[in-house]
Amino acid sequence: MSNTRMREDEFLEGIKSHDRRSLAKMLSLCEKDPETANVLLDKLEKKTSHVVGITGSPGVGKSTLISAILDKMNGKNVGVIVVDPSSPFTGGALLGDRVRMQSHATNEKFFIRSFANRGALGGLSPSIYEACDTFESFGMDNVIIETVGVGQSEIDVSNIADTVIVVLSPDNGDEIQMMKAGLMEIADLFVINKSDNPRSQILLSRLRAMTAGSKEVPIYLTNAVTSEGVERLVRALDSRFFQILSDGTLSQKRRKRLLNHVKSMIRRELDRLVQSFEIDGISPKEMRDHIIEELCRKKRL
Amino acid sequence: MIKVMIAKPGLDGHDRGAKVVAKALRDAGMEVIYTGIRQTPEQIAQSAVDEDVDVLGISILSGAHMKLVPKILELLKKMGSNMPVFVGGIIPKEDAKRLKEIGVVEVYGPGTPTSEIAEQVRKFVEHSNA
Repeated sequence: MSNTRMREDEFLEGIKSHDRRSLAKMLSLCEKDPETANVLLDKLEKKTSHVVGITGSPGVGKSTLISAILDKMNGKNVGVIVVDPSSPFTGGALLGDRVRMQSHATNEKFFIRSFANRGALGGLSPSIYEACDTFESFGMDNVIIETVGVGQSEIDVSNIADTVIVVLSPDNGDEIQMMKAGLMEIADLFVINKSDNPRSQILLSRLRAMTAGSKEVPIYLTNAVTSEGVERLVRALDSRFFQILSDGTLSQKRRKRLLNHVKSMIRRELDRLVQSFEIDGISPKEMRDHIIEELCRKKRL
Repeated sequence: MIKVMIAKPGLDGHDRGAKVVAKALRDAGMEVIYTGIRQTPEQIAQSAVDEDVDVLGISILSGAHMKLVPKILELLKKMGSNMPVFVGGIIPKEDAKRLKEIGVVEVYGPGTPTSEIAEQVRKFVEHSNA
């Protein structure tokens, strides 16, 4: 629902000419009608932005850290996608990540957009791939994606981001938590935030002990409120992008992202079909056969 | 899905009302973006346009509403947006009348039932899409 509608060619022209309002409307289209958004995105040139995913438990300081990162990104165009949970009961959501980033709201280089996860279980929005592509088509140098505050298994961000930062804070549980599979495994970088808390040193040594012997994951200490350590982190992100660009990691990541984008499109189609199906007096197997048949019949392009 | 932004401009930090309304609209099934306190009109207008919200709600208790609200409306217009804007807070009757004259869709004082706000927000959105 938008109070001013835009036509297809207006979208395309708007995005190409870096019109902020077109970007805002296009992101809405990604949520309301992702299929049309995908058709439009096909017609746009995409820049390869460094897509950085920031994830971690609620309250570790993800939003504040992003705000501090933006402070150090002067001169770069950055798109920020922040995701907060929808209510499973009413569908409503309170999107509050912006509160920590409002000092950047009027910076013309940055564009912050809030998304509700609308029932998606992996910590992101169902339209995340389209939204990220939109920012890349707009020509952003960086796209930063903040997941909902996650538990242990919401790891979808690793399907889309070129670099995943797992943010931890010193008040986050003992080393058994860190030994568990899932979230801790997707980190390309760890950030221990709230480094002014003396317990952050204990966390650091535990994290080092845990990661010893496996893939080396760099650990950064930050205090997002005072910006301490953030510049170092930003420099590390830049050099990592250069590295993954040249060693082929980036193209692997992009292939994975593309496949996951396609899967999410098929899943959307499937959900729609399943929900529109009459289920009276039909066995699960029969229903599956019908739906697959229907899916094949609907094949477009 | 209705997207609403609840914003608090100016220097007063009394955000209880803004939070109550934000939570009520959330419970009414809307996606509510909260900006936090002490926002400039520029921050609010730009955020509302960037987030492409359907409605903007502004909460003011400082008495500066006759300065801040017109400024926000003017900025929105300049940015090409005609989204409905409602105001909540301590607003004298004659000011409320004046604000509605310049384009605010509704002014809510203390004691307004949140269910009434939610219902009306739905109507504002329907109207602006009609």
